[in-house]
Amino acid sequence: MSQGPHNRADGAVRPVEVAGADQEFDAYFRARRDAVRRTAYLLCGDWHRADDHAQAAFVALHRHWRRIRDRDALDAWMRKTLVRTVVDESRRPWRRERSTEDPVVTTSVADRVDGVVTRHVLVDGLRVVPPRQRAVLVLRFLEGLDVAATAEVLGCSEGTVKSQTAHGLAALRAALGDALDDLRPAG
Amino acid sequence: MQEHGEADEARIAALFRDAASGAPPPAFDAAQVVATSRRITRRRRSAVAGAALAVLAVVGVGVVAGISGPRDATVTAASGQAADQAAPGAGAGAGDAARAAAPEAPEAAAAPNAAVPPVGPPLGPGTRECADRQDPALRALVDQALPEVVGASEAATTMECRPGGERGVALEAGGGVLVVTYLPPGPVTEPPDGARSAPTASGGTVLVSSRPDRAGDAAPFADRLDAVVAYLAPRL
Repeated sequence: MSQGPHNRADGAVRPVEVAGADQEFDAYFRARRDAVRRTAYLLCGDWHRADDHAQAAFVALHRHWRRIRDRDALDAWMRKTLVRTVVDESRRPWRRERSTEDPVVTTSVADRVDGVVTRHVLVDGLRVVPPRQRAVLVLRFLEGLDVAATAEVLGCSEGTVKSQTAHGLAALRAALGDALDDLRPAG
Repeated sequence: MQEHGEADEARIAALFRDAASGAPPPAFDAAQVVATSRRITRRRRSAVAGAALAVLAVVGVGVVAGISGPRDATVTAASGQAADQAAPGAGAGAGDAARAAAPEAPEAAAAPNAAVPPVGPPLGPGTRECADRQDPALRALVDQALPEVVGASEAATTMECRPGGERGVALEAGGGVLVVTYLPPGPVTEPPDGARSAPTASGGTVLVSSRPDRAGDAAPFADRLDAVVAYLAPRL
């Protein structure tokens, strides 16, 4: 941190380490905000709530910033915090998510040629996948984590991740039917 | 992944990436995050200071009572204990102060079936426009009910505006997360799996749940949740 202390509006000198930590946080924020928002979006299915969850995770990160010594573990910390926030929200009794028995919004064949609608079909399908299974799918297929890393984020065993992946994909396929061919098992 | 191979995974990953594209402009920036973080920190410090002042007031009353007559020796001793606990307490958490002010709390928490009288009128619904996700008043009660969480870090919570009558506390403690929620009077659907709930003195509902950080571990305070609910219900 080469820059010196600078003054706040109230005239107090801000310690160098505070400014340095803020710069580090700002750099991390700029590098990761979009990715965190995307993950939050697939976890919750709504961009407004995704921004809310992503912001909450970044606020928590800022509050813990100086206590997180292993900067290489920031991404894992953020994923863990984000998933926990979203899953907690889904557990709230007054925000019961639709069960897998609820019908997914139907989309016409003509609509399906529209890429935007195709995106919405997958997001709608994810909404009816149970939250923990959905988190496994998002971490594995959007974030590209392997089984071990996913297990670490979710605090579960690798076997659980494998079974949740299989169950989550089955639930997603059942919810979508033929709406997205790419989700059909090959062969 | 028994049902699909690498090709399947690649196709599904492409679908997921596509589904997450087309994001609208972000609704927050770094400056807002930092400002929110600092506002929360300032509020926590204010809550700690307020609780410390309350303890000092209690201690002061105890000292005055002790000076006023020998019959009050018991009161003075209790207050002295409170002072001892609060003394390191310039830097202690609000829960330390609150616990010191209510020394009966640990016994109450340890004895779930004991008749614990409510302390004053119930807290009742919050008064903010949006619910406080880390409500200082509820946190003080939780600290009383479960002294092990005094000083525990707050777990991340959503920032979406919920009805202001709600109160919440989410803490990282005991190798997991403890979540306590107060819902104001009104219809409530079934609580989440594993959560304990009870009607409160103000006509609302209190929900308490916990879960471990790692699968296979026991949920933190699992054998204490009923006691926590029993302690909180008459105070909320």
